[in-house]
Amino acid sequence: MNKSMATCYRIFCVVLGLAAGLTLAAPARGQDGAATPPSKVERKNRAPVARDILRVKLPKPVEAKLKNGLTVLIIEDHRAPFVSVQLQVGGAGGLYEPAAMTGLASVTAQMLREGTKSKTSVQLAEAIDRLGASISAGSSFGSSDTVLSASGLRDNFDEWMGITFEILLQPSFAADELEKLKQRLRVQLREQRSNANFLLSERFNRAVYGDHPAANVSLTAESLDRLTQDALRKWHRERYAPQNSILGIAGDVRAKDLIAKLDKRLAGWKKSDLKPALPRDPQAASARKVFLVHRPNSVQTTLSLGNIAIDRRSPDYLPMVVMNDVIGGGASARLFLNLREEKGYTYGVYSDFTALRYPGPWRAGGNMRTEVTEGALVEFFNEIRRIRDERVPLAELEESKRSIVASFALSLEQPSRVLGFAITRKLYGLPADYWDGYAAKIAAVTVADVQRVARKYLDPEKIQIAAVGDAGKIKAVLEKYGAVEVYDSNGAPLPPGKS
Amino acid sequence: MTAKIWRTVSPRRTWVAVGIALLFLASVLNAEAAGTKPTKRRAPNAKAAAKKTKPADKAPKAVKSYDIDFKEFKLKNGLRVLLAEDHHAPTFSIAMTYNVGSRDERPGRTGFAHLFEHMLFQGSENVGKGEHFILIQNNGGRANGTTNADRTNYFETLPANQLELAIFLEADRMRAPAINQANFDNQRATVQEERRQNYDNRAYGKTYEAVIDLAYDSFPYKHSTIGSMDDLNAATLEDAADFFRTYYAPNNAVLSMVGSFKTETALTLIQKYFENIPAQPAPAPADVSEPDQKAERRKTVEDGFAQTPRLDIVFKIPPANTPDWYALEMLGQILSSGVSSRLYQKFVKEKEMALNVYADAEEKRGPSLFWFSLLARPTTDLAALEELLYEEIARIQKTSVLDSELNKVRMQLRRHRAQQLYSTRSRANSLGHFAVYYNDPDLINKIWRIYDQITSADLQRVAQKYFTEANRTVVTTLPKTAAAPSGS
Repeated sequence: MNKSMATCYRIFCVVLGLAAGLTLAAPARGQDGAATPPSKVERKNRAPVARDILRVKLPKPVEAKLKNGLTVLIIEDHRAPFVSVQLQVGGAGGLYEPAAMTGLASVTAQMLREGTKSKTSVQLAEAIDRLGASISAGSSFGSSDTVLSASGLRDNFDEWMGITFEILLQPSFAADELEKLKQRLRVQLREQRSNANFLLSERFNRAVYGDHPAANVSLTAESLDRLTQDALRKWHRERYAPQNSILGIAGDVRAKDLIAKLDKRLAGWKKSDLKPALPRDPQAASARKVFLVHRPNSVQTTLSLGNIAIDRRSPDYLPMVVMNDVIGGGASARLFLNLREEKGYTYGVYSDFTALRYPGPWRAGGNMRTEVTEGALVEFFNEIRRIRDERVPLAELEESKRSIVASFALSLEQPSRVLGFAITRKLYGLPADYWDGYAAKIAAVTVADVQRVARKYLDPEKIQIAAVGDAGKIKAVLEKYGAVEVYDSNGAPLPPGKS
Repeated sequence: MTAKIWRTVSPRRTWVAVGIALLFLASVLNAEAAGTKPTKRRAPNAKAAAKKTKPADKAPKAVKSYDIDFKEFKLKNGLRVLLAEDHHAPTFSIAMTYNVGSRDERPGRTGFAHLFEHMLFQGSENVGKGEHFILIQNNGGRANGTTNADRTNYFETLPANQLELAIFLEADRMRAPAINQANFDNQRATVQEERRQNYDNRAYGKTYEAVIDLAYDSFPYKHSTIGSMDDLNAATLEDAADFFRTYYAPNNAVLSMVGSFKTETALTLIQKYFENIPAQPAPAPADVSEPDQKAERRKTVEDGFAQTPRLDIVFKIPPANTPDWYALEMLGQILSSGVSSRLYQKFVKEKEMALNVYADAEEKRGPSLFWFSLLARPTTDLAALEELLYEEIARIQKTSVLDSELNKVRMQLRRHRAQQLYSTRSRANSLGHFAVYYNDPDLINKIWRIYDQITSADLQRVAQKYFTEANRTVVTTLPKTAAAPSGS
C-alpha cells in the first residue's frame, strides 16, 4: 500500500509509506570486523494499517477545593471494584530539605508507615494487609513533593483510606522504629553500591545538577546521623500543608458523596502559611566533562550522556517530547535501531528527559559490552550531531507525532493513568483544556522546532558523560572526549594514574 | 526467570518508597492479575458457536460478575483462538502463546528458544527487519515478547482501530519469518548483551543459574532460559530453521485477544490471515521428569559485585496446577507477602538479620521449586540465619497457620482479581498462559475458587511433605572480596 505518499489524517498529515531511503544509520563501522553484511532495518510497507488515528478525549476529573485548601481530583471509573489514590504533598519533597540533611523528606515519609498515635508499626502493617490494600509513602531526591500512594478494593475503601489519613496526620515517629529504619538504610547505603545503575546516576546527577539538591540520589551515612526524631517531627509539622497539596482518587467511587466526606475527614489537617520557595535553578554545564566510575569485574560499560534542558512549563516542552521520541524514545527510535538493531552493541538504548518545576536533564544511555564502548560513544555522538545538523525528514517527524497522539487511547485502560494526567496538569498549573488541546499542539511541532531544541539542548561540546565500568579497559577510550575524572565504587575520587 | 525482547521502561529517577513490594502471584498471572469469589458462570467450550456477545458496559446488574467471558474457536489447522470482548476502553491486546520454551532446547543449544523469539522481530515475508516495532509504535501501540522455560509469548496492545494490523503481524511471522545470517548475528549479539546486563554484570546474577543447576537433575529445567555464551555462539541458522518448523506451527500455539472488537470481525480476520498456515506434526514433549532427591545439596557462589551475602534455599515441589502446588503457592504468600508477613517481621524487623526475604512457589509445568531467598546484612551470621529459617519452617509444620493469615491472602487475591479487569494485556496473556500450560483457559475464572478452598491443614501437610532436609538445595552467595562470613 501507499508508497511514500503523504496521507491526510483527521488530526494531521502523515506519511506512512516510508521509502527505504530513510537511512537509519551508516553501515556497521567494523568495531568487531563482522564478516557478514550489516543487519539493516527495512520497511516493506505492506501491513494493513488503519490510517485514521483513533482520537480519544481523556475523561475530566471532578475538581474541588476543600476548606483547608486541599485540591481534590476525582476520576470516576466503574470498570472494576477498585480504587487508586495519590496524594501529592507539595513543598514536602527532598528539593526543599537542608543540604546537611539529605534524605530528611524521604525518611520522614518512610516513617509514616512505622506507627501512628494509636497503632504500632506491626499493627499498621496488619491492618493494611488484612484489607488487601497497599499504602506507601516516599519522596524522591530532588522532588518537590512527598507522595502517598494507596490502592485497594472498593468494598473496604473507607477503611484503608482512613488508615492512609491516619498515617498522614498522626504518625508517631517512634524512636525504636526510627532506629531500626536507619539501620536498614545504612545497610542499603552499602548494598546499592553493587549496582551499576546506582553508581551511574550518582555520578551523572552530580555532573549535571552541580550543587542543586537534585544532584543527590541517596542519603549519606553523615546525613542519616542527623535525622533525629525531632528533625522528622519538625519537617512533618512544617512541610505537610494542605493548601500546597493535591489529592487524586480514581476508580469505583461516587465523586459527589466523596468530596463531602473528605471535607469532614480532613478537617483536622490545618492550612498554614507555607509557600515553598524553589532553590535557584540548575544551570546547563558550559563545557564537556567526562566522569568514570571504576567498577571492578564489569563486563559492560553503563553510560549516560546529557545536560540540563528544560522545566515542565517551558515553551520548548512539546518540541522536546517529539525530538526525544525521534532520537531515543523507544524501540523504533534512532538510537535503538542504530546501536541495537544494526550494530548489536546493546540490549537496549534509550533517551529521556526530566522536566519538573525546575529544569532537568535530557539524557541518553544504556549498557554495552566493554569492548564496544568506543563504537557506542561514536554512535551516540553521531546521532546527536545528526538530529542537530540535519533536518528531521518530514515523514519521520509525522510518524513520531502520530505515535505520541495515538498512544493516548491506551491510557484509558487504567484510571490511575488518567488521574496521572490530571495531577500533572494541576501540579504545573497548566490550563484546564491542556490535554484536550495536546494532540493539536503536538501536531503543530515542526521540523524546524525539532532542530531548534536539539541544537539548544543537545550540545556535544557541553554534554556531560558519565560511565561505569572497568577503568583499565575504557579510560583511554573516554579520554578521547576530554579529561576524565575517575571515582571508585564508593564514590571517592581516584588520583590520576591509579586505575 | 523470563527473558524479554526489549525493556519497556526507560530509566527514571529512583523512587524511594516505604514497604516491600508485593511479589504476589507474579508466577501465576503475568504480574498484573489475581482475585476473588468464584461465580457459576462458565466459559463456553470449543464447540460453542460464535454467539454474539453484548458489550460489557450495558445495564449494570445488582451484583457484577468479574468473570472473563471468552469464546473459544479452533481453526482447521489447529490454531486455538480465545476471544474476550471488553469495550471499556477503545483498545485491545493480542497474545500469541507458543507451546515452546527453554525446556525444549537440546544440550549445547541453551538459550536458543529465546534467541529464536528475538528472530521473530527481525522481519517476515511482508514485514521488514525492525518494522514490527515501527508499525506498532507509530500507531500508538506497545509490543513485546518473552520466553521462559515452558512457553514463548508475543503480545501487542493497540488502539481499537488497528485490529487488522495486529492479526496480520502475528500471522505473517508465524507463516513466513525471514531469517538471514546478518540478522541472526545481530540478535545473537543483542541477546548476549541482555545476558551481560541481567546476569553477568550485576550482583547475584550467577545465583539463579547456580540454584537450578544444582537442584535439577534433568536437562530441561537445569539450565537458564537466557542460556550460556558458548551455546549462543554455537547456534546456527540451520538450528533456527529446524526450531521454526518443529515448534512454530498453528497447532502448537494459542491466539488470545481481549478488548474492544467484535468477536465475529476478529474471527473473520484471524481466519483470513492464519487459516492457510499449514499444521505440523505435534512436537514430542520434553521429558521434564525428575528423580527423587535423596540428600541435601549445598554450594557456595562467589560474587564479584555483591556487597552482602545472600542465602537461597529451594525445595523440589510438584508441577503447578496441582492441589499441593496451590497450597504451596498460598503458603509462600503467607510467609513473605506484605510487611505484616511472618518472615518479613521475623528477619527484617525483629531479628534485623536480612534486608529482604522472599518465599514463593515457582510456577512450572513440570517439577517446580519452592524458593526461599534472604538478602543478609553484611554482619549476619549465615549459619544462624539458615537455622532461624528452619525454625520458621518447623513452626509451619507443627502448628497450623492462623485463619487471619489465610484471610489476608484471600483479600489480596480479591484485590488482584479486581485489578486484572483493567489491563487487556494481562488478561490476553493469562488466557494464553492457562491454555498452553494446562489446556484450561477457564482457569482465568476458576483459579480463585481453588485458592478459596485451601485450608490451613493443606498448608501444614505440604510443609511437612516437601520442606525436608533431603529435599532441599542450599546456595550461599558471598561477596568475593569480603572476609569469611563469621559473626563479626
